Amino acid sequence: MLFVMSLGPLLFAAVFGQLASLLASRRMPKLWLTLTLAGFALALTAAVLVLATGIEWEWRSAFPLCGEPLHLRLDAISALFLALLAVVGGAGSVYAGGYWPDRVHPLSAPAGRLWWSVLVFSLFVTLLSSNGLHFLIGWELFTLSAYYLITLDRQRVEVRSAGWLYLGASHVGMVCLFAFFAALASQTGSWELGPMCEHAKLAPLFWLALVGFGLKSGMFPLHVWLPSAHANAPSHVSAMLSGMTLKMGIYGLVRFSGWLPVPVAAGWTVASLGVASAVLGVAFALGQHDLKRLLAYHSVENIGIILVGLGFALVALTHGDAAWGRLALAGALLHVWNHGLFKSLLFLGAGSVLHATGTREMSRLGGLWRAMPWTAGLFALGAAAISGLPPLNGFVSEWLVFLGLFDATVSHGTATWTAVPAAILLGVTGALALACFVKVCGVVFLGAPRSDAAAHAHDSGPSLRGPMLLLAAACVAIGLAPVLFWPAIARAVGEWKPAWQGTDAPAPLLTLGWVHLALAALATAAAVWLWRKAQRSGFRRALTWDCGYAAPTTRMQYTAGSFAGIITEWFAWILRPSRHEQRPDELFSASASFEEHTPETVLEHLVQPVGTVVMRVSTAVRRLQQGKLQAYLLYLLVGVAGLAALVMSGDGP
Amino acid sequence: MERRCRVSGTLNLLIGLAMGLNLLALASSRLPTLIGAVAVQGVVLGVMPLLMEHQFDWIVALVALGTMAVKGFVIPGLLRRAMRTASVDREVEPSIGFVASLLLGSGGTIAAVALSRALPLLPEHAGSLLVPGSIASVLTGFVLLIGRSKAISQVCGYLVLENGIYLFGLLLIHATPLLVEAGILLDVTVGIFVTGIIVDRIQRAFDSLDTRKLNVLRE
Repeated sequence: MLFVMSLGPLLFAAVFGQLASLLASRRMPKLWLTLTLAGFALALTAAVLVLATGIEWEWRSAFPLCGEPLHLRLDAISALFLALLAVVGGAGSVYAGGYWPDRVHPLSAPAGRLWWSVLVFSLFVTLLSSNGLHFLIGWELFTLSAYYLITLDRQRVEVRSAGWLYLGASHVGMVCLFAFFAALASQTGSWELGPMCEHAKLAPLFWLALVGFGLKSGMFPLHVWLPSAHANAPSHVSAMLSGMTLKMGIYGLVRFSGWLPVPVAAGWTVASLGVASAVLGVAFALGQHDLKRLLAYHSVENIGIILVGLGFALVALTHGDAAWGRLALAGALLHVWNHGLFKSLLFLGAGSVLHATGTREMSRLGGLWRAMPWTAGLFALGAAAISGLPPLNGFVSEWLVFLGLFDATVSHGTATWTAVPAAILLGVTGALALACFVKVCGVVFLGAPRSDAAAHAHDSGPSLRGPMLLLAAACVAIGLAPVLFWPAIARAVGEWKPAWQGTDAPAPLLTLGWVHLALAALATAAAVWLWRKAQRSGFRRALTWDCGYAAPTTRMQYTAGSFAGIITEWFAWILRPSRHEQRPDELFSASASFEEHTPETVLEHLVQPVGTVVMRVSTAVRRLQQGKLQAYLLYLLVGVAGLAALVMSGDGP
Repeated sequence: MERRCRVSGTLNLLIGLAMGLNLLALASSRLPTLIGAVAVQGVVLGVMPLLMEHQFDWIVALVALGTMAVKGFVIPGLLRRAMRTASVDREVEPSIGFVASLLLGSGGTIAAVALSRALPLLPEHAGSLLVPGSIASVLTGFVLLIGRSKAISQVCGYLVLENGIYLFGLLLIHATPLLVEAGILLDVTVGIFVTGIIVDRIQRAFDSLDTRKLNVLRE
């Protein structure tokens, strides 16, 4: 009872902390940081209280705001996302100070702090509000503030075009959400949100929600805005966008698939979209040469894994609430946390590399392990986690999804026939992700520097290292002690589907925890032993791919493209890489070149042609607008005559 | 009864005259002729309320006098003055040729007669030319507005258009005579004032009254 009483003040203090930091953002960076972190700490406390005890907090205002009374609610599902927001946002706020400092960016650094505060505040509003109107206001506000954060460096033309694409795509999603909430309000008679599964006629609204929230979450093929936006934003913003705001799309889907009835086909659709996102996301990632763009495509892949879990949970609902759905959903929700943690870690690591070398092009990097041991080590840890390697957190959540799929396979229903290919394709995804991160770590951190900038790199300072350490520690903690985090996930699952309540950890999870601990201990022991041995017998530092050359040059190394060449060849049907090659035509040829570039296929082959047609039609229509009074009068006459004809023919009103 | 038939015959004669003036307005190649046609049409229309009333009503008489004065003398006078002071060419400069305008106008008149047969009218209006005359005048006004480019001929087009609306309003003269008439007259007067100001402005800004030159103002 005491907890419930303390939750409200905690949350209000958190929200007011954000509002106060908004005021401090211009002139007082230190005060801004303190207030922001305090707000996050309070929010995290509230979220942990809800997740640990399973209580729910609800508050209604007596006064209306924008025409509707405020209705705030913090239950296990919103607390799960609030906790992630607090961790990722806290790490990003500290990182911003070192990465985007006032003395280098005198204009955009204060603006960045301002919009960061607005973003966090509107995320709070969206997560807490239980009223459709306030949800929409929060959603629109966070979409817009994210636009200003993406375009902080708007002197560069590619940043502006990425921001423009983001804004356009977000508003297509926004229109769907407007339609969704308006239809919901008109059918239920109020903007209030809450469980309403008994209204079976609400089920078709799910498709609107799927497009609206799916666009925000970056599922394939609605991800077109994602790679350029995440690659061109400042790195702490990329971390926040990828770690948190993509998850808002997932939050919307989880929230409203739990509260509203869903159509029968919803589960299959979500699961298929998830599998497509997972496999194609990692395939596109393999074709990238830009470090941050590659990470952005991995977000598509991980969103795919989350959607597979959610999709199979929805399928389980149509199979009499089968227990495997619970595991799949738990895996999906845990993967929300995990992806938020390791993807922001990776983006912060990529930011450190960018900060030190000034380039995101992997073909200009290399050999950074020696210059930036902290960044390299933490990035490699994040890479191992995102590839789903034990004993880290990525493995735990993917394994829960797999457990759900395996149980569905042996359930001898129609679910078997889809769970088997889904499991196989998820396995393929994991393998491809591993290949992709071997490529990244190999090309960026191993070998010899490919440019002067990479050769003179230096490791980042404590304000960049600290947040990365925090995120890495969280990754390791979830990996080594998954049982500790299980009750939180189980409460969110129980909130989604009351039939699946209960916080007892499944037996395999306990085993997994012990196995992970043992693996970690063994790996540490092996590392210590190797280090001792190396110290005793002495060692010589050499290049990674020396290959016995007496005097190797940096151009002999594997490039990012050649590393992944075989695998990208398998996916050439969808990647459509554009190649420019000039083969050597004689012995000792003076010139030869090879260049390969993987475009955003869906954008260039689907969205742009449609856009071109729309523009052509609009240009043709625009000829009607010619500024001649006589012409306008003619339109008027034709319009009136048309209306008259309509009325006379009896079709009109 | 006999008087009524005679009155209705006179009324139809006047409406026929107005429809003929429509065609004259379409065919005239010089501005003074056009303005003259519109002025005569205004006087003809002004007489009509007097014929439609069975006994003398001073309100109706006032309205009729006002209409005649404004449409037959004040507005044409204003237009002639504008033409003189802005020293406009007397040519009409059609963008739809005179023959084509006439064909459109006469086609519109025939269509109006045909259309009014199809409309559900009150029995006492069935034999009158009020409705076809009104529709024909509206169409003529539109042809003038669309097919002529000088601002003054545009004003004439508006006047013919308004005359059509006025004819239609005569159907309601027993219901709300003063209100309808006063409203329409006020509209027209304000419209003429506004157009007069615009004519002056166009003349100053573009050194011409050709409204086609206004299309440089589009975005």
